[in-house]
Amino acid sequence: MVTHSRQPSADDPRVLLDQEIGVFEPVPPYPPRTEREAEFYTLGDGEMFVNMGPQHPSTHGVLRIVLKLNGEQVVDLDPVLGYLHRGVEKICENSDYHHIVNQLDPLEYISSLFMEWPYVQAAEKLLDLEVPRRAEYIRVLSGELNRIASHALFMGWFALDLGGLTPILWSFIERDEIVEMLGALTGARMLFNYFRIGGVNGDLNHEFMSRLGSWMSRAATQIEANTKLLNENEIFVRRARGLGRMDREMALRMCVTGPNLRATGVPFDVRRAHPYSIYPELDFDVPTRTEGDSLARYLLRVDEVKQSLRIIDQCLHQMPDGPIMARIPRLIRPRPGRAYGAVESPRGQYTMYMISDGTDQPFRLRIHDPSFVHLGSVGRLVPGNLVADTMAIMASLDPVMGGVDK
Amino acid sequence: MTTVSRAWGRLTLPGKIFFTVVPLLLVLGLGGLIAIMLLGPLVLQILGDNLPLVRFVIAATAVLLAAIPIAFLNIFMEMKVIAFMNLRIGPDRVGPWGTLLSVVHGLKVLGKEDFTPTGADRTIFTLAPVVVFLGTVMSFLVIPFAPGLFGQDFNIGLLYFFAVGGLTVVGLMMAGWASFNKYSLLGGLRAAAQIVSYEIPLTLSVVGILMLAGTMSLNQIVLNQSGSFLDWYVFQQPLGALIFLIAITAEANRAPFDLTEADSEIVAGFATEYSGMRFGFLFFAEYVNMFIVSALTVTLFFGGWNAPFDWPFPISANLDPASLGIGLLILVAVVPLIGTLALAAPFWLMRSSMPTWQALVIGFVLFNVLAVAAVLGWAFVSWEWVVGLLWSMIKAYGFVFFFVWLRGTLPRVRIDQLMNFAWKWLLPAALLNLFVTALAIIVLGR
Repeated sequence: MVTHSRQPSADDPRVLLDQEIGVFEPVPPYPPRTEREAEFYTLGDGEMFVNMGPQHPSTHGVLRIVLKLNGEQVVDLDPVLGYLHRGVEKICENSDYHHIVNQLDPLEYISSLFMEWPYVQAAEKLLDLEVPRRAEYIRVLSGELNRIASHALFMGWFALDLGGLTPILWSFIERDEIVEMLGALTGARMLFNYFRIGGVNGDLNHEFMSRLGSWMSRAATQIEANTKLLNENEIFVRRARGLGRMDREMALRMCVTGPNLRATGVPFDVRRAHPYSIYPELDFDVPTRTEGDSLARYLLRVDEVKQSLRIIDQCLHQMPDGPIMARIPRLIRPRPGRAYGAVESPRGQYTMYMISDGTDQPFRLRIHDPSFVHLGSVGRLVPGNLVADTMAIMASLDPVMGGVDK
Repeated sequence: MTTVSRAWGRLTLPGKIFFTVVPLLLVLGLGGLIAIMLLGPLVLQILGDNLPLVRFVIAATAVLLAAIPIAFLNIFMEMKVIAFMNLRIGPDRVGPWGTLLSVVHGLKVLGKEDFTPTGADRTIFTLAPVVVFLGTVMSFLVIPFAPGLFGQDFNIGLLYFFAVGGLTVVGLMMAGWASFNKYSLLGGLRAAAQIVSYEIPLTLSVVGILMLAGTMSLNQIVLNQSGSFLDWYVFQQPLGALIFLIAITAEANRAPFDLTEADSEIVAGFATEYSGMRFGFLFFAEYVNMFIVSALTVTLFFGGWNAPFDWPFPISANLDPASLGIGLLILVAVVPLIGTLALAAPFWLMRSSMPTWQALVIGFVLFNVLAVAAVLGWAFVSWEWVVGLLWSMIKAYGFVFFFVWLRGTLPRVRIDQLMNFAWKWLLPAALLNLFVTALAIIVLGR
């Protein structure tokens, strides 16, 4: 067992003065606090620690993983979280109901709309608010666009972590198109701040519609062409197949949701299981796969993109006329009570649980982020694989670190 | 002193350059002239006595010098070709079409801080890039680029190539070990495992050629393939060529076998802790290596400097202009015009902002440069050198493009897949190739 002497602080520069200069071991400078920690930080025969992240070139966001390696094989790993922690839940408790949307955006910096959605859902439930139908259609339309953007980025990332150079840039072309049109709609390319309690911030405008029209006419073929580079690639398929296999039992027990759950064969989609917004009226399938490995997760997302295109098409054809905002006061004081909002995001089920005490600020806002849950399963999936696959397995779960650390 | 410095300060920049360079040149020229007059015969005597040594030194210097533009060109090609495959523009700021960017990269690398990490083994850490670079560049020495244009023609040329080229793995392991970094260590160990494994199918795949050619001299192997492209060994050894190409890709650490510097897995592998010109040497070696393995593939399997078909218009050195008659007039009148237009067309087509006259001027200048180069080559070198160099470079850069293309297309294989592939597929296939070749030689009685 690696022994530790008590030191004043890990950041204290005086620590370095006395220390014998040697290799940096990613071992915490305090005695192990739990049995698990003591077990993990005890090296076996021929094992070594490798500190992967937070500055590793392929960690997604600011995640640090301490790997225990035996040669190239990962024996055990310990994700170290908290590099992005800002205490958003606490900040939300001290913010006006309208301002909270803005605070939530950076938690999900790949597809921000899905972090705003459960919040406005919960707030609308508290206020017993009827959202105009046009607003709901616009929410679904922009949300599905954002889902495609997120999935497109996932495909590129996954390939990049397997060593492919080109797919990330090709998928960024698609993402850029979508982000540009969402920028025209919402005013921002990344952190949209678009959904409002009772509606959306702005109506569909000409630039958005013309961009969307020209993109929709070639989106299906374009995405097909992009995925062809990977789907028919022997090296990619051989590496991704059987990688990080998660079975149905494990997925259900670990509360995995979203594409990662559906890749194990469970057809659970919040849009169908607990319908919200206008999804009951729309015609789309919930694609599932049974393998549960990285390849299945990847292919499932490709299928989801196709379904999203279908939904967007229907939204555009059925878009009703009318207001985009319900009539609500500037200062909201909902009734005291509790509300729950859940949506199906590209990553899984985003959930917000809100308690109101009748003031203009929520008493408590609990954010449930699926990325956190999925990262928890990395500890089950990675050990036994090679160090090369660590990041690939993580990428196949598609976490966003903003929501993990909150 | 003040008078001098004041006058110096009033000079413009061209003036300053002129008044330093011209006296310097005068002094150097006069001194050189005197030195040649005094020492010339003696030096010539010494050089003449040690001709093989002189030849070796000149060849080694030429190879070292040639490595730099080749690496620059390869880096530029990698940036630009992959950019096009990624649907990007790629470098386009420095120099025309971004061609000078790799030069700027070289300067940037020179200007960077060159530090050794704490705890690193200083000597080995410093030596590793040198070993890698030398191992790479010295294997250049035996590759023939034109009839008579090669560093050294050993009768064990291929053996020398594999022996010296195998030195690079020692350098990579040194870099991996001495860096005092676990990622570097993993990279170095991967390099060792990978290169040593792939050396075996690589070597076995060329034994078929050795049996056919009956020699290890690369020059002789190329000479054996003269004639039309049907005489190239790739048609007699298709399986061998395939195995060779795969194994040499792994040997050169190119995608999809670039596990030693896999950025998404082990940061930068053995090069993680390197910076400045040491990193530059490792980087250089990689790109020179890419060219060398391409040139070796061309030499062994694709006829080296042989043209793929007989040149339809034989130009012999003892051409008599008088015998051409009116043809000479047509040649002189038509060829510059067509040449200028042909060279101007790509520029004119490529850049819509370029006026026609500018493209024509560029075409005219380029044609003249090429014509002068051709005439000089004809007069002073030999026409065979020019044509041979042209063909071998075209073919070699075709393979460089192929390697870049692989990098732009394929993901990386895993280390266990890599090893499985080498030992379970490539090695038996290479042995099968060897067996079939030997059988064919015995049966056909060549």
